[in-house]
Amino acid sequence: MDSPHSVPASDFLVNNKRIRVLGLSFDDAVKIFFGGNAVVSVVVLALITYFLFQEGFGFFGQNHRNLLTYRQAGLEYVDFIRTQESGHTALTRYLSDLRLRQYNRLTIDQKQSSAAANQSLASFDAFAAQYGDAVEPIRGLVSDLTEQATAIKTKFLIAEDKKVERQQLLAAGKSAEAAAVKIETVDFATELKVLTGTLPVYKETSAEFAKRLDVALTNAPAMPAPELAARLDRFRQLTREYVATFPATTGSLETWDYARPVPWYQSFTAFLFGREWLTASFWQDWYGIVPLLIGSLMVSLVALVIAVPLGVGSAIYINQIASMREQRFIKPSIEFISAFPSVVLGFFGIAVLGQFLRWLSQQPSLAWVPGFPFSERLNILTAGCLLALIAIPTIFTLAEDALQNVPKAFKEASFALGASRLQTIIKIVVPASLSGIISAVLLGLGRVIGETMVVLLCAGNRIAIPDFTAGLAVVTQPVHTMTGIIAQEMGEVVRGSIHYRALFVVGIVLFFLSLAINFIAQKIVRRYRISIG
Amino acid sequence: MSAPTRHVFRSRPSAARRWETGALWVFRSSTYLVLLCGALVFGHIVFKGSHTVFTKQAPFINVPFLTEAPESLYVFEYKGEKKELGDRAFRAFKIEHPEAKDVKAESYVYSAGGIFPCIVGTVLLVVGSMIIALTLGVSAAVYLNEYAVQGRVVTAIRLAILNLAGVPSVVFGLFGLGLFVIYLDWNVSLLAGWFTLAFMVLPVVITASEESLKAVPKGFREGSLALGATKWQTIRKNVLPYALPGILTSSILGIARVAGETAPIMFTAAYVVRDKLPWQGLTSVSDFFFQGVMALPYHIYVVSSKIPQNEYTERVQYGTAFVFLMIVALIATTSIVLRNNLRNRYKW
Repeated sequence: MDSPHSVPASDFLVNNKRIRVLGLSFDDAVKIFFGGNAVVSVVVLALITYFLFQEGFGFFGQNHRNLLTYRQAGLEYVDFIRTQESGHTALTRYLSDLRLRQYNRLTIDQKQSSAAANQSLASFDAFAAQYGDAVEPIRGLVSDLTEQATAIKTKFLIAEDKKVERQQLLAAGKSAEAAAVKIETVDFATELKVLTGTLPVYKETSAEFAKRLDVALTNAPAMPAPELAARLDRFRQLTREYVATFPATTGSLETWDYARPVPWYQSFTAFLFGREWLTASFWQDWYGIVPLLIGSLMVSLVALVIAVPLGVGSAIYINQIASMREQRFIKPSIEFISAFPSVVLGFFGIAVLGQFLRWLSQQPSLAWVPGFPFSERLNILTAGCLLALIAIPTIFTLAEDALQNVPKAFKEASFALGASRLQTIIKIVVPASLSGIISAVLLGLGRVIGETMVVLLCAGNRIAIPDFTAGLAVVTQPVHTMTGIIAQEMGEVVRGSIHYRALFVVGIVLFFLSLAINFIAQKIVRRYRISIG
Repeated sequence: MSAPTRHVFRSRPSAARRWETGALWVFRSSTYLVLLCGALVFGHIVFKGSHTVFTKQAPFINVPFLTEAPESLYVFEYKGEKKELGDRAFRAFKIEHPEAKDVKAESYVYSAGGIFPCIVGTVLLVVGSMIIALTLGVSAAVYLNEYAVQGRVVTAIRLAILNLAGVPSVVFGLFGLGLFVIYLDWNVSLLAGWFTLAFMVLPVVITASEESLKAVPKGFREGSLALGATKWQTIRKNVLPYALPGILTSSILGIARVAGETAPIMFTAAYVVRDKLPWQGLTSVSDFFFQGVMALPYHIYVVSSKIPQNEYTERVQYGTAFVFLMIVALIATTSIVLRNNLRNRYKW
């Protein structure tokens, strides 16, 4: 029916006709779209965290087996004697250091020719040679035992591989082939007889070794300088202490039992407190995070020592002292520095900064600085300087925000009481914003600890705990870091191997470390914020 | 002669005053020291890199460097002349001069040719990951801020996201390796790289977008709803337009971060070297997504750590660093300038 009053379809902006598809209006669909994206984001972020742990936690089981094999195959037994041998090596190093000092004294202080110096050191050399050779029988024993223990370990590992192979064949339903896989069971008790049977030989060798050391010591030539003589006495003392440890070694060898169980927690403690990160070695792999953790902390510490005064100082300057014109120019510039890609900074470190610092350290006028001169161009200091440049913008921006949040009344009241500008800054503004500044420093630390490319390229990548006896000079030694080791070794490891999982566990440690830093930073800001009003 | 007259209000020089001036100068010099260091690094790379990227003759830009693939460089002496030739040119030279067949040449990998595949790879990685990150991130922020019932769960999610923003990028690389490369079996591919990078910046994008959404006054929404608009109409007409500039600037900052990161793509997307460009030799569309690419940051890592430092390798090292730094700096500058303009524009 045609109505004369038909109303034309209205063209309102707000149009409430509800078209429903599958019972959903357009609005619902939009909501579901947004909600779906939110769910996907949250779920994937959770999933990724889950996968980190899934890959990582397998490590502890594998490491436990790794440690168990170490004991059962007798590697631990051999390492007792090996430790004894390496103790001797350390002592000979002391001796060669002594020789170098004497040699330097002769050639540099007394201006003798090198031939003459060597001539006068002949008796010392004879002594050193005698001392060094004393270890030969022990060394021979160690190398024999090493071969035998390695053989047992290899046999055991092959047997394990065969077992896995049989399992896989069985799982594939090929029972006939599975039965054909020959598995040699390794009877550790009998295999290890070869090792433990050498105990009487060891006792004899060890006694003779002690005697030889003693004889060698009596032949030690007298040192001309009192300082060197004192060192030689110290050396005698060290040798006596060293010899005194022999009975303990014998004791551990006697009481050693391959069947003693490895407690489950040892795979955790071996990781957390292990002082060695040694992979792809022919003997035994160790996964201890301590050297990497210390490396990361040392590099971050150096970075913070440089970055905190500069970052906080410039924040104070910009916020409290600088003119508007300076502010407008400096703030974006420092933000711009934060955009430098870390790999470019790392390249700069390799190409320029490392060389420059080494050149600087070799200037005679700077020889008084601890650790100068150094020869390693890539070390903690180089990496720390570059990381400081990364941390400064973070610290600067956040600290500046914190200073900005200090109520103006505080400052005005301080001025009204007659305080000078510096007094106001140091006694009023900075304390009032201290929580913000501390959290800025913490977030800077988080940024630095997680930085990868700079430390990978510039920290020197030597996996060892730096020698803290060197005092401040420790910053001129190369280290390896947690982030660096992941980036360096992840590309080369076999998926699913213990090494691969160990790297994931390092990632988990980093994950928790950064979470903790973030958490503490937020906590500090909330807890100690000055109420504004 | 009498002492120079002082103005009555001029303060007397005193120890305290000298102290203050000294301290202020310490602050000032620390600020300028930071700027100086930044300028030195930037200037050094720009100065050395511009020798590679720019030329003195006509086009003034080193076109081959920007359009060719990396090659090995051969350095040799021929008839008393020192020659430096790239891989292909060296082979052609040998064919042309048969007597030079046994000439002894020192070779340096990646030191000749250009970096075109790396530029292409980086652009692909950045564009793809930013599309994913922006879609997911902005939608998630809109949902969390506009639709979700504000309660404990949302607060917890927000806190978790905020904390994830501080997780090191190399850990995100491990995440990506575990989930995308291994579990989903995408291998080292463009797709795995996109998702890894996207989820790396996702916390940043969500947090920043929420911040800009929150900055839109509540009255805008209430007014629109009171006029009878639906929720979506309100968001589309009255919230997003005002929040968008803020979202965009923060996402540009995200782009700078994505482009600058090396660690996450090291084991998810980047190849050390690949002859084919991403669009060459594809048999099906999906091949495009499941191929690894070369990327500028990874290339810089490779050329600065795997080959020696000398006059021949310097060219490509500084050239690559320069191009990369310029790209990232351009993105960052855009975002900084945009943000400074925006601050002045929207104020309520």
